[in-house]
Amino acid sequence: MTTSRRLLSRLRGQPVTLAALAFLALLAVVAVAAPLLAPYEQDRTDFDALLQGPSGEHWLGTDDLGRDTFSRILHGARVALLVAVGSVTVSMLIGVPLGLLLGYRGGWSDRIGSRFLDIADALPGMLLGFAVIAILGRGLGNLMLAIGLIFCGSFARMTRAVTLAEREKLYVDAARVGGLRTSAILFRQVLPNLAGPLAVQAAIFLGSAIMVESALSFLGLGLDTSQASWGGMLGAASEDQATQPFLPFPPGVAIVLTVLAFNLVGDGISAAFAGGAVRPARGRARRRRTRPAVAPLTTAPPTTAPQAAAFPAGPPPPAPPAAAFPAASLPAAIPSPAIPSPAIPSPAILEPGGVLELRDVTVALDSGVPLVRDVSISLRRGEVLGLLGESGSGKSMTARAALGLLPPGISLAAGSIRFEGRELAGLSEKELRGIRGNGIAVVFQDPLAALSPVHTVGKQMCDVIRTHFRVSAAQARTKAASLLERVGVEDPERRLGDHPHQFSGGMAQRVAIAMALATEPRVLIADEATSALDVTTQSQVLDLLLDLRDSLDMTILIITHDLGVVAESCDRVVVMYAGEVVEVAGTSVLFDRPRHPYTAALLAANPSADGKADRLPTIPGRVPPAGEWPSGCHFANRCSFAVPQCSTGAVPLDEDVRCVRATELVLGR
Amino acid sequence: MSRLIAYRLALALPQLAAVSLVVFLLTYLIPGSPAAAILGERADPESIARLEAQLGLDRNPLVRLGEWFSGAAAGDLGTSISSALPVTDLLLTRLPATLSLAFGGMVVATAAGIGLGVLAGVRPGGPRDRIITAGTSVGLSVPEFWFGLILTLLFAVELRWVPVVGYVPLTTDPAAWARGLILPSIALGIGAAALIARQTRGAMAEALTSRYVDTLTAAGVPRRKIIGYAFKNAMVPVLATMGITFRILFATSLVVEVVFAFPGVGNLLLTSVIGKDFPVVQGGVLIVAALVIAVNLLIDVGYGLLNPRVRPQ
Repeated sequence: MTTSRRLLSRLRGQPVTLAALAFLALLAVVAVAAPLLAPYEQDRTDFDALLQGPSGEHWLGTDDLGRDTFSRILHGARVALLVAVGSVTVSMLIGVPLGLLLGYRGGWSDRIGSRFLDIADALPGMLLGFAVIAILGRGLGNLMLAIGLIFCGSFARMTRAVTLAEREKLYVDAARVGGLRTSAILFRQVLPNLAGPLAVQAAIFLGSAIMVESALSFLGLGLDTSQASWGGMLGAASEDQATQPFLPFPPGVAIVLTVLAFNLVGDGISAAFAGGAVRPARGRARRRRTRPAVAPLTTAPPTTAPQAAAFPAGPPPPAPPAAAFPAASLPAAIPSPAIPSPAIPSPAILEPGGVLELRDVTVALDSGVPLVRDVSISLRRGEVLGLLGESGSGKSMTARAALGLLPPGISLAAGSIRFEGRELAGLSEKELRGIRGNGIAVVFQDPLAALSPVHTVGKQMCDVIRTHFRVSAAQARTKAASLLERVGVEDPERRLGDHPHQFSGGMAQRVAIAMALATEPRVLIADEATSALDVTTQSQVLDLLLDLRDSLDMTILIITHDLGVVAESCDRVVVMYAGEVVEVAGTSVLFDRPRHPYTAALLAANPSADGKADRLPTIPGRVPPAGEWPSGCHFANRCSFAVPQCSTGAVPLDEDVRCVRATELVLGR
Repeated sequence: MSRLIAYRLALALPQLAAVSLVVFLLTYLIPGSPAAAILGERADPESIARLEAQLGLDRNPLVRLGEWFSGAAAGDLGTSISSALPVTDLLLTRLPATLSLAFGGMVVATAAGIGLGVLAGVRPGGPRDRIITAGTSVGLSVPEFWFGLILTLLFAVELRWVPVVGYVPLTTDPAAWARGLILPSIALGIGAAALIARQTRGAMAEALTSRYVDTLTAAGVPRRKIIGYAFKNAMVPVLATMGITFRILFATSLVVEVVFAFPGVGNLLLTSVIGKDFPVVQGGVLIVAALVIAVNLLIDVGYGLLNPRVRPQ
């Protein structure tokens, strides 16, 4: 099976797990061969050598009857492993079928069974062990049962959860339709999915079982004292440790190492199932970068659910691709640009006097792979600039670079970012803090995630206000309330005491905007700030932003994948594709006479108001992910106007368009 | 808030009733006659019959169940076979020591666990995180009773910083009570501390990647304050699992009591299990279960205070 092979190769990459496994294997050998390996018999007494320390004769000393500690440790491994394996087997034999039953049956039996598990929760494990041994007496079988009962609830709970999840899945239904019997479905298809979590839990409970066994043996409730066990040895040691302080160490260290090994193996298996060794920043960045690759640029209606069709029968299906943003998702038709600004000439993105100027900004992974290359954007005072692109175009990374908020593993590799003439690139975290919020503020996409769920809105706003202004708590609250009122939240005084989840999505976004305004910024960056909202709310929030621009003399950068948003609100547009700026133009100019084939394709893919087309046009192909950009024009392989010249070398941004055929092509609708 | 408490109480009471039902049924699970099991194989039939009558085994189980519940509700848990004292009285004299130890262990576990977890989670992958994470792995593998033995050996026998045997009732001498609790609390708290530290680390690291952290950073809020925000958010999942952690801690405290010779319920249970004093075992199991339920209740209420989303509207 490829799955198990992949797991094995992942485990091979974990030296700690391998060492722990090797230790446990060695321990198993020792346990089996203890009578052969031990230098003395475990119960051979020597009254001339009582309570000795370590020596050549007795490597780990002797106990109060002169028995050799080293030999007894070896024999103790037998008890430890036997009881651990036996009790975990008992608890799996009880817990797994119970969980399967509850999870698969559902309904009343599940409700009653789960209640019962909850009740068992009130009985701490050791107490259960006490009770079982009090009732049934001591002995190997009873010990295994006592310890096994402690863990069977956890196995049942976990099995139930996994079964419940698997039950809902398509292939179990398919199997049922196909005539397989219920039990066959359970064992053939649910159990393989259980294997991973079960293995992890079993490994950890093997360690726990050894802990419980040694505690019970320590208390004298374990096996007969003639049989050497680590816990029993500790019990004896506790009585004589004043005379021989070394006594408690060998059995204790044996327990710690064994339990540690089981825990590490459990962690290792868990990590292997979760997708290999943890590569913190780098891994996350890579995932983020490759995700856009699966987002097709298409407006095709979702007639078939993609996963349902290609469902594998065995392993769990891969996580569905991140929401594929169609080129234009929201409005059914683009309104003609609301704010045409013919007064502002479109060309020349670089000009002195911009409030926020990005020049040749390159953002790259620590490995050197660029995510954004040579992006230059200039925000003029008082304008609303749209930064348009699909997911993967690098638009959000550009904005984050401007804020100095790049995720770990990603950094500004080159370029300059000037805010009101002051260079931000290379500023320390502390220096940036003075500019963040104060000069530049940001509003993110999902307002509910952008606000702390366990703090009141008032607390969050006041903290931001008091970071920038020396005001009393009461004054900050008054200001917060007036800001909420400004963005259209009703009853602002009272709502300051509410938590974010008590607001609707649109209202929460207004709160987030109020928070951004709290510091009186000159530039507001709205990073997909309206994408999570429905169309009506979206318009209201955009109107609010435009209104704020006018009344507060703010400059706004709207980052979006949505042509409708651009049309409704922006004065100018910067179009990005695969990490580069491909076109810059005034909004009405861009919509009427696009000069880059990509812009034209975007516009064409957007369902128009005419509604003549009965099939929605799409741009064939997909955005090349970072690291796989072609050497020539990034769009060339999807472009219907491409000529061989397009792929020969990097295309410069010339007169605000990055296309070798810009002057000859006549595009537009 | 009172509605939240009432809601949790309404959940806890049936749980307690169900546990006491299970405890009642314990005697019926004993193979053969419990009286014979208590008195041994060679006991004469007469004394077995007398003990059966004393235990009520000769009467209808349903009648006895009613008696057990009404007795338990009134605080009467039967009579000890070995000492002929009321079980409730026995347990009440043992309760302060058990509560003191559990309290000390929970304080150590919470303080050390959350403190170390935050230190590790603030910069995941850093050297401090790696040391603390390795430490928690070891901490999870150390049997608390053995750790107690080693602590006693080191700090009480060798260094003589604290008394060897330590329980002094709080009402007798609060300072001595606290001194006597230091080592047992550390021994008891280590495993739970490691568990809480792991959870806190994960929750903290996760919280610091949240969008609201970006929002606050973008608004120029100082890092220390942002960590405060992340901390409160991280405490939500940590508190959610703390009930399980403290359940394990209660179980462990029964063994740690023995190591430090605490006159608590654990020691009483141990002698009762060995002496087959079933009424005391039943009472002890019930009272520990009641404590676990009570602590879980408190944690649930705290969870509701921390997380506004679970408060009943």
